[in-house]
Amino acid sequence: MPSLAIETSCDDTCAAVLEGPVILSNVISSQAVHGKYGGVVPEVASRHHLELTGPVIRVALEQAEVEVGDLDSIAVTAGPGLIGALLIGLSTAKAMAAPRHLPLIPTDHLQGHVAANFLEPDPIEPPFVCLIASGGHTLLAGVREYGGFEILGETLDDAAGEAVDKAARMLGLGYPGGPALEKLAADGDPGTFDFPIAMSRDPGLVFSFSGLKTALVYRCRDLGEGAIEEHRADLAAGFQAAVVEQLVSKLRRALDRDAWPAVALGGGVAANGPLRRAVADLCEERDIALKLVPTELCTDNAAMIGSAARYTPALAYPEYLAFDAFATGGGR
Amino acid sequence: MRIIGFDTATDDTVVGASVDGETVFKLVIPPGPEGRPVHSESLLEAVTGAAEAAGGWARIDRIAAGTGPGTFTGIRIGLATANGIALSTGIGLAGVSTLSALALPMLGPGHATLALLDARRGEVFAALYGPAGESLREPFVCGPEDLASHIGEFGPELLAGGPGAVRFSEDLDRAGVSIADPEADVHHLSAGSICELGATADPESLSNPLEPTYLRVPDAQLWLERHGRKAGP
Ligand SMILES: [Zn+2]
Repeated sequence: MPSLAIETSCDDTCAAVLEGPVILSNVISSQAVHGKYGGVVPEVASRHHLELTGPVIRVALEQAEVEVGDLDSIAVTAGPGLIGALLIGLSTAKAMAAPRHLPLIPTDHLQGHVAANFLEPDPIEPPFVCLIASGGHTLLAGVREYGGFEILGETLDDAAGEAVDKAARMLGLGYPGGPALEKLAADGDPGTFDFPIAMSRDPGLVFSFSGLKTALVYRCRDLGEGAIEEHRADLAAGFQAAVVEQLVSKLRRALDRDAWPAVALGGGVAANGPLRRAVADLCEERDIALKLVPTELCTDNAAMIGSAARYTPALAYPEYLAFDAFATGGGR
Repeated sequence: MRIIGFDTATDDTVVGASVDGETVFKLVIPPGPEGRPVHSESLLEAVTGAAEAAGGWARIDRIAAGTGPGTFTGIRIGLATANGIALSTGIGLAGVSTLSALALPMLGPGHATLALLDARRGEVFAALYGPAGESLREPFVCGPEDLASHIGEFGPELLAGGPGAVRFSEDLDRAGVSIADPEADVHHLSAGSICELGATADPESLSNPLEPTYLRVPDAQLWLERHGRKAGP
């Protein structure tokens, strides 16, 4: 029987219908409104989620040609994320499930990024190491089972995507900055400016992106207005190369430590072309498999939540009536 | 008509059910320790109890939900819950202004009613209703010292009530506005009022999703309007 999944942890309002690992529909409504603020504004995101969640669920059911009465469970992101945003999806999901006595599956968002790799077509199976990088998270997940993962290393400060967005903003690009920065960087020389590869001497697997951001502030200040304009593409290329290098060097270190047979990527930053190529080169060099899910399953979506829910304990009615969302930590 | 009514725009979680005008369930869950509202944890459990008291989900004709004004997150938990029930069951939704529900028990001949909620930041959410509940001033937000200018012509024949009236009673006194007996129930939002207003809502207006009444734009938007795009934090 089909199941419904709902995801509202950040600025995308998402609903999907799955039949096992098969996606019947995967609807994503991205909130373009945050562009003018240069970043996600929690209150603005929550207002849009309230408007969009119902319509997005309706469209997901219609596209899947599934009626509410056909559903066997409802999965929803319970955290981590923006608490006010999470509460829209969770309140809606609980209220849909309760009158029909359906089980509710509160799902971990990061587990969702991992579980995107279990979806048809071409699912992979554990063990593998998953690099998850987006505007909200940057971590290496060691996946040895379907229902969980171990954090091998995560960022000490900014997320990779957050750093990219801030850099894009400094260079006068729009929000979200990733695709624009990548496009600009394509015309630049990454060797023109020196950017630090943070944590390169740290033997662990932790990330840090705040120093990189500061470095860009200094480069821009040293150059002055006119010269920045002239070197925008070089700055973008240098910055992007430093982000990619840090991500890939930590991934390489994870592969040195353990004989992982496969690598997977998740999160919005995983849509970045140079990152994908660098990871592909690394996997070829090590002769291990690389799993690249399509972009719409990399960025936040509800199909990945439905996939994670298949390996997450369900709460039977009425156990979940008092269930609450969590902003950080929690689920695992 | 079997109707479930609830409101989470104030710090309380207010839930009730009525069958043909008679209250069959009512529950007010106050905030938890440190004054934190418990809407997310308590609303659906209470609503489920209300549905059982009113004969079970299959027999419910309508859901009435408070649309605010009030706390943003609280309003959204309530409306998302109402939307979810409607999506799942097809039961019609009636949006009820939290202020008009607050005013309902104070309405009466010979005076207008000023319903006031504490809007935090030293302000009130307010709306003004005539003897039969007709709107004289749509919901607005202002400082208590500015209330007099909003209600000027109605001042002498005015009865004020609600948590905001208790909180800013001195300002109201100064403006010459009478306040309902501080001990009276009318200062608290009742589920019965939400059900009663929901029951009389025009079936044509039953809608999904419901419209929240925020009355304030997000702080980030204010910042943007004042400082323009480049100056953001
Ligand atoms: Zn994510």
